[in-house]
Order: sequence, then C-alpha cells, then structure tokens
Amino acid sequence: MSVSAQLESKRHPLDSIFSPKSVAVVGVTATPGTVPYDIFYNILTSGYRGTLYPVAPGKRSICAVRAYRYVVDIDDQVDLAVIVFPAEVVDRALEQCGQKGIKAAIVISAGFREIGPEGLKREERLKAICAEYGISLVGPNCLGVINTDPVVRLNASFARKMPLAGRIAFLSQSGALCTAVLDYAREKQIGFSKFVSFGNKAGVTETDLFEYLHQDPQTDVILLYLEELREGRKLVEVARRITRGPNAKPILAIKSGRTPQGADAAASHTGSLAGEDPICDAVFEEAGIVRVNTLDELFNAATMYAYQPMPQGNRLAIVTNAGGPGVMATDAAVSMGLTVPRLSETTQQRLRESLPATANVKNPVDVIGDARADRYQAALRHVLDDPQIDQVLVILTPQSMTDIEGIAHGIVHIVRNASKPVACSFMGAEDVGPGIRVLQEAHIPHYILPEWACAAMAAVQRIRTWRALELDEPEELPVHRHAAAQILDQAPSGYLEEPEALAVLAAYGLPVPAHRLCSSPEEAAEFADQIGYPVVLRVVSPQVVHKWDVGGVKLNLQDSSAVRTAFTQMLQSVRQAVPSAEIRGAVVRRMIPPGHEVILGAKRDPSFGPVLMFGLGGLYVELFKDVTFGLAPISRQGAQRMLRHVKAFKLLEGLRGSPPADVDNIQECIQRLGQLVADFPRISELDINPLIVGPKERGNTVADVRIRLS
Amino acid sequence: MDKNEVYQRVVKVVCEVLGIEPDIVQPESHFVFDLGAESTDSIRLVEAFEREFHIEMDEDAALRVKTVGGAADFIAEYLK
Repeated sequence: MSVSAQLESKRHPLDSIFSPKSVAVVGVTATPGTVPYDIFYNILTSGYRGTLYPVAPGKRSICAVRAYRYVVDIDDQVDLAVIVFPAEVVDRALEQCGQKGIKAAIVISAGFREIGPEGLKREERLKAICAEYGISLVGPNCLGVINTDPVVRLNASFARKMPLAGRIAFLSQSGALCTAVLDYAREKQIGFSKFVSFGNKAGVTETDLFEYLHQDPQTDVILLYLEELREGRKLVEVARRITRGPNAKPILAIKSGRTPQGADAAASHTGSLAGEDPICDAVFEEAGIVRVNTLDELFNAATMYAYQPMPQGNRLAIVTNAGGPGVMATDAAVSMGLTVPRLSETTQQRLRESLPATANVKNPVDVIGDARADRYQAALRHVLDDPQIDQVLVILTPQSMTDIEGIAHGIVHIVRNASKPVACSFMGAEDVGPGIRVLQEAHIPHYILPEWACAAMAAVQRIRTWRALELDEPEELPVHRHAAAQILDQAPSGYLEEPEALAVLAAYGLPVPAHRLCSSPEEAAEFADQIGYPVVLRVVSPQVVHKWDVGGVKLNLQDSSAVRTAFTQMLQSVRQAVPSAEIRGAVVRRMIPPGHEVILGAKRDPSFGPVLMFGLGGLYVELFKDVTFGLAPISRQGAQRMLRHVKAFKLLEGLRGSPPADVDNIQECIQRLGQLVADFPRISELDINPLIVGPKERGNTVADVRIRLS
Repeated sequence: MDKNEVYQRVVKVVCEVLGIEPDIVQPESHFVFDLGAESTDSIRLVEAFEREFHIEMDEDAALRVKTVGGAADFIAEYLK
C-alpha cells in the first residue's frame, strides 16, 4: 500500500466533513443574499485551502469560478458536497453525489422532518441514499460547518463571519442560535476549533461528533446545544468515555425544553413525574456532562476550563478593592461548593508587608479602594503562592483613582507564569471596558459579575471531581428470574393484579410482606392466624383498579372474627359498586407498622430505556416533586446518588432526634428494581408507592405496587 | 395550436426567463435541479407563460408543475 493510501485509510469518516481537500457546493445560485450563494461565497472568501467547485445548473460561472451543471460532471475527486438545493430535489442531488463517490455531505436545506410527515418521508429517502452509498451526512436543516484550523479554514455555513480560531468546539441543533453565538463569541474574543450546526441529525449525531472531537487535536472542550435527544443511552456511554480517562475532554451542554412533556398521558406517579427534562438532568450527571441553563453559563465555564490550568482543589482566594463584592463573591462561592479558606500565616505576613495597614489580609483579601497595579500584583502573587489556595478570583470596582488598564496589564503579567487558575471580575461596563479587553486578549477569563466567575469555577470543579471519581458498574444481585418470567411472560398487557405483582417483586428480592390470595372468609381467617395480627384485606379483581373507592380495602383487623366479617362486607360492598366485577378473592397480609413512606418507580423512556425514580412519598412527591432519576440497571453508587439527591433525604438519615431509617436497604431496593426492569422490557411502568421505611437495619416493606405491562 | 408548437414556445420562454441556452432543455428537465431556477424564477415563469399564451393560470396549480414538458402539457390543457 502506498504512503498516501495508508494515510487515506487512517482518515476518520468525518475528516471529509471537517477537512475536505475539495468541496462541491451543489445548487448554487447567482443571487447574493440567498443561502445557496452565501455559502459558496463564504467558502470562497474564508481562505479555504482546498479546491472549490460550484454546481449551478444553467450557469457558466459563479463569482468568476467555472460552474458545473451536475456534480457528476466534475472531473476531479470531490471529498465533500454541501447541498443547498430546495428540499424537493435534495434527494436527486445526494444520489448524484453517491454516484460520484462523494463520501460526505452537508445538507443545509430545510423542509424535512421539521415540517411534518411529507418532510419526514423526504428525510427517510436521504437516509436510504446515505446507507446505499456510505455517505456521512450532516443535517438537513442546518447552518453548516466551520473549521478554523489554519490548514483547512473552511466556512461551509451561512454565518456572517469566520469565527476566531480557538480550543472550543461548539455543536448545535439550532442553526439560528449558531449565528447568535458566533456574534456573542467574537465580541468576547472567544475562538472555536470546530463549529457545527447538525440540524435534524439524519446522519451524523451529537455522539458521532463527540467521538470525532475527542480525537481532534485542536479541541479541548466540547459545548453542545441540544433540543431533542433520541439516543440517550448511547449519549451516556460515549460521554462517559470522553469525559474521563486519558485525553479526557469536558462536555458542557444546554438541553432546552425544560417543560414536562407527555406527563398528561402517563397513568402512574412515575410516568407523570418522569418527563424528559428531569431524566436528562440525572442522566447528564451520570454521563459526566455538565448541564447549564444559559449561553452565558456555557461560555463562562468553557472559557474558564479552556484558558486556565485545572485547579487541584476547590479552595478559592479572592482579591478585591471593595469589601461588598468580596462578600458577595464569598457567598456565591460557598453556595456553589467552593471554599474560601483563611490564608496561611506566611501569606498573611507577606500581605501585611505589601499592603497598607488598613487592608484585610485574610480571605477575601481587600487591597482597599485606592489600590493601583502594584498592590494588586503583590496580593495576587502572594495568594497564588499559598499552598492552601487552588485558584484566585480578582475583583475590581472602578474608583476615581483606579488605573484599570494598568491593573489589567499587571494581572496579565502575573497570570502568564501562574500554574493555578485565575479569573477576573472588573465590575461595571463603560469605565472597565478597556481593562476587560486587555484581559480577554490575554485569555484571562473575565466575568462582569463575581457570581458568574464563581459559577464558572464551580463548573470546572465538577469536571475535576467527575474525573477523579471511581465509577462502579451495576452488579448482578441474586434473584429468581425464572419465577418472575413465568408470571410476566404469560400475563396480558395492562396492569398486573396484586398477587402477581407482589410475586414478581418477591422473586427479585424486594421486601414484600407475607401474603396470600384467599377466596373465602374462612381461608382468610386461617391465614391471618398463621401470620399474626393485625392484618389487611385487599380485594383482587381485574375490574377494580382503585380499591379504596369501592370499599375494597380493610385495615387493622385484630382477630379472626374481624377478618371473616370484613371479608364478607368487603365483597358485598365491591359487588354493589362494580356489579360486573369478577372477584378472585382478597389478599391477606400483615399490617405494616408506620414509618416514612418513599416511592420507588420505573418507566420505559423512548430515549433512555428503563429509567428509575426515587422520592419521599406523600406530600413530598405530590407537592414538591422531590424525586430523582437514574438509568436501569443501576450500580450501588448510582443508587446512592439517587437517594442523596432527594432534598428530603435528611429525614431518612434521622433529623432532630428521629431514628435513622434503613437507607442501605432502600439503596438495595433501587438496585433490585433496576435489575427487574432491565431484565423485562415488557414492564412499561412500575410504582412501589409506598415503600414503608423501617428503622436502620430493620428493613423496609412494600405496601402497594402497580406494574403495567406493554 | 398543436402540442409541439406549445412545447417550442415554452422552451423559448424558459430560456429567456432563466437566461439559459435551449440546447440544455429537454421535456424532462426539472426547472430547479436541471435548469437552476431559483424560487423567485417560478413566479416569473408563470407570468411569462401567461403573457406568451394569453391565458390566466391557477397559480398554485402552475407552481406544482416541475418540468418543462409538464409545463407544456399544463398550458396545452388551458389552450383547449
């Protein structure tokens, strides 16, 4: 094999998207200000290092470049086709690209799945053509792709300007947002390595791009704007690999659409609470993706990570010329998980020697309102030298004697040789502007508000903590899978009846109380004698779902006579309320002693597969929606995370003298439930509501369960 | 007017409006994919056909016609 053939074989399929040696823009028009023309013009004028071909039927040339009628008319090899034809003929253009042997295409055109069934059909046709010819497809319905690498310089987009080169890759499902981001970033001197609008993701998805960018030497951090998540499981698997280990790169994401979807149609608690958004929150955390809410947060964290060294811990020193902002920053830092420790005695002594007597040399270090560059430089140097400090925030407020630009230059001088991260907050707008520009040009992260700086540092802290975490895998606990399968494989779709639902849970080692389906008052009384009093009776009938409403539950029965009477009365009451009910009998079981009520649930999500939910029951779940989620099957660590992320978790640990609950057993129940729903895809929804929690080491008990099968 | 004459006059109009040579026009030529028509050209073509043939066409129906041959057939129906 020749050297060039060997190099070619090592090319990643997406290299043809990002680093093509030749590009054909297919469907170019001669009218400036239209997308087809502007894309061609942008590639032509952005300094693209390869060869460019316009495909423009009926035109001899575009921008003085010879035009071709069809892509197949181009004599040379073409690496990338950028298709800008209207949607109705994109398939014909793509087919010709396949015939030409082009292996990568960007379809800019809109008019596909985003417009409804007709568009979806068109998009399916594109997928089929890509599959037939082995084409990697970005789009359709996108802004395009930009690669700032000096050896490529490709602006295959209709963005107004080529962005600055940098170490940040930005991926967006929204094309319009891209143009706004480019404008925003340019003003803040933020540069990009790759910039991708991936639109409807008919071919290349966010996970494909993650994999590519993981290996991209120009990229240090990946930013994502996502509207729709179709392959949640794959996202977790890929993101975990990229955000940890050697060559780890952080992924920061905005996932829009925070309003609950599909909740109305869901029948169970878990179904109604488990909208896509809260699941996303949990899953992004499991995947190591830092989720933020706004573009400011996204770029604030990204620039902190990309421009400064990784801190070794969460200890922050603050240097300020104003007391108030120092206190505000301290509050923000501490609330976000950073610490603002007292400086070492040595540092304090050095500061005393360098600063006026009125200065505060603890932390925050107040260099006093009249501070000039020399004082800021001395303070910054000393706190950076303190072994008890991992990172520094410099705050400046513009006072009449403040030499803003001089201080900025002084900070740049110190930071240039620092091994610890430094962020700045020059508070204000007009007066501090020149100083901010000095900082930004030197790639020192600057934030208008100290709170934003703290949030950015806290995000980097999350990245650091995630990398250091030792992750465990879901373990396989001993269960009676066969016993559960016997019930689940034969049951019709819809809700399982209580005896079967309890038996399924029991087979998976969930703490089900002793129970039996009894068909007569005598049998019920006899079983109650065996298990001891008090007991509960619950009617079993396929027609009765809401047992309480029809008198189908009898509580706290103290002896056999009470059981017999209750059994007879209960059946009469149910028959009266639901004359058509076929009554199989009643489940008899011990009355469970009172305790905290928690809810354990599971549902099958179209994107994430089996998802688990945990929360405190009763008011907490109804009113506060205080629940957490995790993917099934789940590891011990994952189950612990679910437990601890519930705001009311402290109640279970024992609050104000109340005894601690059996939290270890709840964690095991979550793991066992995860194993059950992962093993049986027919389980579409499952609620254990409530699980009554007993005191520590005394175990918990399932009080009620509903299992719905698909 | 016979069908061939309608087709020849349609080709003439198409070439004038799109600024193309007649030798690349075939009955099956797609206005956009084969002849490079832009979205605004579609309206201009409909107006030019109406002038050429002294007819008034249903604009929505006319815009659904995608090929030169299809346009000739569509106009021939009006001329009947």
